[in-house]
Amino acid sequence: MASSQKRITKELAEVTSDPPVGIKVSLVDESNVHNWNVILDGPPDSPYAVCLLSHTSSSLANSKLIQGGKFKLLLVLPTEYPFKPPVINFKTRVYHPNITFDDKGSMCIGILKAEAWKPSSKILSVLTATQQLLSEPVPDDALESAIAEKFKSDRKDFNAEAKKYTKQYATGK
Amino acid sequence: MPPPNTPRRSSSVDSAAQSHLDYLDLDLGEAVPNIPTSAYSLSPSAPRQQHLHLGVDRQPGGSLNRLPEPNLPHTVDFRGLNYADTVDENLLCPICRVPMVEPVDTACDHTFCKDCITEAFKYSNLCPIDRFSLTNTDLHKAHKIVTNQLDALLVLCPCCTSPVPRAMILNHLERYCKDALVRCPGQACRDTVKRKLYGRGCLHYDVSCPDCNMIMQQLEMADHRERDCQERLKDCSHCGDVILRCKEDGHLEKCQYVPASCEWAEYGCDYESRRKDLAEHADVCAFKFVGPMATILKKEINNLRSEVRTLTEKDHIKERRIKFLEGGFGGQRDTDRPLDYADLPSQSLSNLADSSHADPLDSGHEYLLSLVEAQETKVDRLSAGMTELEAKQTMMLFNETIQIKNELAEMRSSQQVLSMHVRWLLNFRRQENQRRFGAGPSSGGGTDGGGSSHDMPFPRRLSDTMNRDLVTKL
Repeated sequence: MASSQKRITKELAEVTSDPPVGIKVSLVDESNVHNWNVILDGPPDSPYAVCLLSHTSSSLANSKLIQGGKFKLLLVLPTEYPFKPPVINFKTRVYHPNITFDDKGSMCIGILKAEAWKPSSKILSVLTATQQLLSEPVPDDALESAIAEKFKSDRKDFNAEAKKYTKQYATGK
Repeated sequence: MPPPNTPRRSSSVDSAAQSHLDYLDLDLGEAVPNIPTSAYSLSPSAPRQQHLHLGVDRQPGGSLNRLPEPNLPHTVDFRGLNYADTVDENLLCPICRVPMVEPVDTACDHTFCKDCITEAFKYSNLCPIDRFSLTNTDLHKAHKIVTNQLDALLVLCPCCTSPVPRAMILNHLERYCKDALVRCPGQACRDTVKRKLYGRGCLHYDVSCPDCNMIMQQLEMADHRERDCQERLKDCSHCGDVILRCKEDGHLEKCQYVPASCEWAEYGCDYESRRKDLAEHADVCAFKFVGPMATILKKEINNLRSEVRTLTEKDHIKERRIKFLEGGFGGQRDTDRPLDYADLPSQSLSNLADSSHADPLDSGHEYLLSLVEAQETKVDRLSAGMTELEAKQTMMLFNETIQIKNELAEMRSSQQVLSMHVRWLLNFRRQENQRRFGAGPSSGGGTDGGGSSHDMPFPRRLSDTMNRDLVTKL
């Protein structure tokens, strides 16, 4: 539908012309504005960031040495957008309570639930919410209960696991 | 297809919204060529409900459809318009993210485009912002201040890209935009043409390009020759620059390598060279000093000539007036004499002498003026004399008639006296007759009755005729 396409084009232009920190957006196919490729940087203060120099120097002060993991997301906008929420899948594996640890990488986030979706929400806010979810997992609303359990009981171990998988999958290679 | 000016109305909200969404995709394709953006279309069949929010009271069948020839109704997709400035975030519809079109308020105090919220209701009856439960009836036209702000937003005209207040965009397209399409002025032509080309008549005929011999419509020829023609470029034979063939004449006038004659050629310099070398020649030209002088003199002479012409004209007019006045003057004197106003001309002449003596420069005007004044006084006197005469005449007439009236009254009274006498006499005679014949009306009623009835009219008739005679005589 033309009106939805117009809005999507507009939002795409907004995101690409003035991209928020740590979010890069491109189209999967230039002729189709409904499928977006998103590269999300893991927030520096989270286990989804990797230290490039050495494993030991985890000083956050030297933030230049720390680079967020590159997480690839596929954002699909339904034809009914903005009346139906977009669907986001992590193409990169993430060790996270709210994201399924499989090829699908489904994500559970409040803003995207069908009953919670509001047509006035923008894609940009969805992406920043996703970024936020990485820094602050919501274990009470988990998809991966094992990870959630670990997150709740043993934060250190969880962080180490997350870091390990980030390094394994999300170094942008 | 209905005539383009036929009134149309959209029946219901739903169908209006639907049709709106339909004509967003409206592709006029071949029918209307050269449309710069899809935001704009000629709309013989598209719904006009977009007008409703514009604050312009356009009623179906009203002013909207009474566009003067050759204007055509246009449709604008307000969501596809480009705005001249960045629009305040608060004026954007939260659903379609463009400045609101036909804004409506919800019961929960949010504002959306009418079409957007109607569309949203197809999916859920919750407010798209706070999920407040809503129904179609909870929608109200947004406050005037919102519509006014939206209407005042400057949009770029989809045809000529000049900024126009949004509320005026249709009016602009339909009546003023130079690049908008109007009906072709050709009698039989049913095509459209840009408004700025309207004055050039119907351009929908085939011609062949003088450069590449391609056949196309005259309408597209200018664009073709400037942009598309394969043969449009040419090397200037003088300067070697690449120029457009269709602009060759203009180039030759300016080209520095074209042979041209000296600036003062008309005064006798026969030097000729390439235009750029003329500057050097100008310094050494024998006419360097004479030329400008001659130009100034020429100008001066022309000025003087025109001045002389106007003066001669003025002179002619004055001469004619003098002749006319003199003629009128003489004629007037002839008619004056019998009325003893002959002293006037001498008076006016003395006036003339005085004035000419006092101000010799204006004597001509003074003379004419004095003549006019003299004539005026004469006319005044004449009319006064006329009035006097009229009064005299009236008095005389009055005196005469009074006598006649008196006589008339006298005669009337005598006539009345006479008729009284006659009546008395008649009565007397009737009584006499009655006494003579009416002694025994029972005995001789048959004959006497007849006799009396025979006699009775006679005296009456007599008196009647007498009366009549008297009247006629008087």
